[in-house]
Amino acid sequence: MGLPVTPLETVLLPERIVDALGLEGYGVLGEFVAGLLAAFLVANIMLIMTAVAGPWAKRKIRARFTDAIAVNRVGPFGLLIIVADAVRLLSKEIIIPEGVDRPAWELAPIIVALSALLGFAVIPMGSGIHVADPEVGAVFVFAVASLSSVGLVMGGYASNNKYSMLGGLRAVAQNIAYEIPLILIAVSVVVFAGTLRMSEIVAVQAEPLILVAGIAIPSWFAIVNPFAFFLFLIANLAEVGRNPFDTPEAPNEIIAGYQTEYSGVYFVLFYLGEFIHIFLGGAIIATFFLGGPAGPVLPGFVWFLIKIWAIFLLTQWARSAVPRVRIDQLLDIGWKGLLVLSFLNLILTALIVGVIAA
Amino acid sequence: MNDWIAIGAFAMIALLIPVGMIVGSWLLRPSVPERDKRAPYESGEVPTGDTRVRFNIQYYMVALLFVVFDIETVLLFPWALVYVDAIEEVGLAHALLPMLAFVFILLLGLGWAWRNGAIEWARSPTADRRRTPKRTP
Repeated sequence: MGLPVTPLETVLLPERIVDALGLEGYGVLGEFVAGLLAAFLVANIMLIMTAVAGPWAKRKIRARFTDAIAVNRVGPFGLLIIVADAVRLLSKEIIIPEGVDRPAWELAPIIVALSALLGFAVIPMGSGIHVADPEVGAVFVFAVASLSSVGLVMGGYASNNKYSMLGGLRAVAQNIAYEIPLILIAVSVVVFAGTLRMSEIVAVQAEPLILVAGIAIPSWFAIVNPFAFFLFLIANLAEVGRNPFDTPEAPNEIIAGYQTEYSGVYFVLFYLGEFIHIFLGGAIIATFFLGGPAGPVLPGFVWFLIKIWAIFLLTQWARSAVPRVRIDQLLDIGWKGLLVLSFLNLILTALIVGVIAA
Repeated sequence: MNDWIAIGAFAMIALLIPVGMIVGSWLLRPSVPERDKRAPYESGEVPTGDTRVRFNIQYYMVALLFVVFDIETVLLFPWALVYVDAIEEVGLAHALLPMLAFVFILLLGLGWAWRNGAIEWARSPTADRRRTPKRTP
């Protein structure tokens, strides 16, 4: 008896919408409308995830780790705090500090939120929720995700605040130190998969690897190459700026880093962008290493959610349990540790795959 | 169906959501401007000096290295894509060794930068002056 693996979904969400609404006759315009609807659905799924994670789950998880009681007054399990916080944050005054660089200061939060959301365009979420599947999906998702550091440095520079400036510069230092290891590990996955198309990367991982007690273990790259998985987890923590790598916004050193001068809805957008970025990191890990939406019994989308929430839980665990590294240590870990190890991983992967294939 | 149309649509939605939130908040939020409220936050002190000064960003050399390695990853992706097929066509040695040589040259560069201290956190020239000298027993 093999582990039932969710079959590969080849029909993308916009195509289904075209079929369902009878938009075939409208050509490119119909496709665009279907794309808008699909994107709206996926973006809203991620907004709901963030709404649950930001004001509620994050506090609850942190409270469990630190033996405290978190939000429990408003609604069952304090869940209505989500509504209360949303209204509170959206109706706050925006204080525009003196000397801010106006267009840049306002564009920065939009860029951060946009870059994190756009990455989900190519992520296969299972149960047919997959907006687009271009040939270069894996490169696209990294390219889009790293756009957010432009927003961070823009916000940091435009704020006319010394803490913001330091935070923005730190964010750049961190992103350039951990971007390369992240992509090099992704290259080692591509060596295995032989494709950059996200749906095919997921499909390759559905192949059974070995049989253990009659159950086929799928060849998820986390199982095939746990070393790469481990490195990717660390590099991803740095990429989303969570402990031990949260130096860009280190609250007890530089107040709140690049978001010090942001209030009201702009702060919400930064916060939202960060959380969606964590989920995007989780989605990339799920797609590259954990077989995407594959899993037994439950539908694919549920498995996808379980996987990204597991990664979210990991970042919150790290946040509660691991001390922050200093900025110079952070660069040392990136350039002298992770970069060298990820090159080692790439070369070893290429050698092993080569020897097996030859 | 063209994937990039859907991605373009997604980009529009990803732009419209933040803008929509800003507009929604604009309808809700009050505006009570005061001069003191607008001062840059400096731990409650009166802000001193300009923020946009000449500033040692400490990792200038590292940023240069980043450009090199970033281009290198762009060159690695196509190789990784065709690697397994290339082994069947031209054999392991011809598929692997050129890329190994390429990576080796880059690693040599990294080692050189490492040895020269380019990836160390640069020390500001005033840091040594401020430090209390170590007393030798």
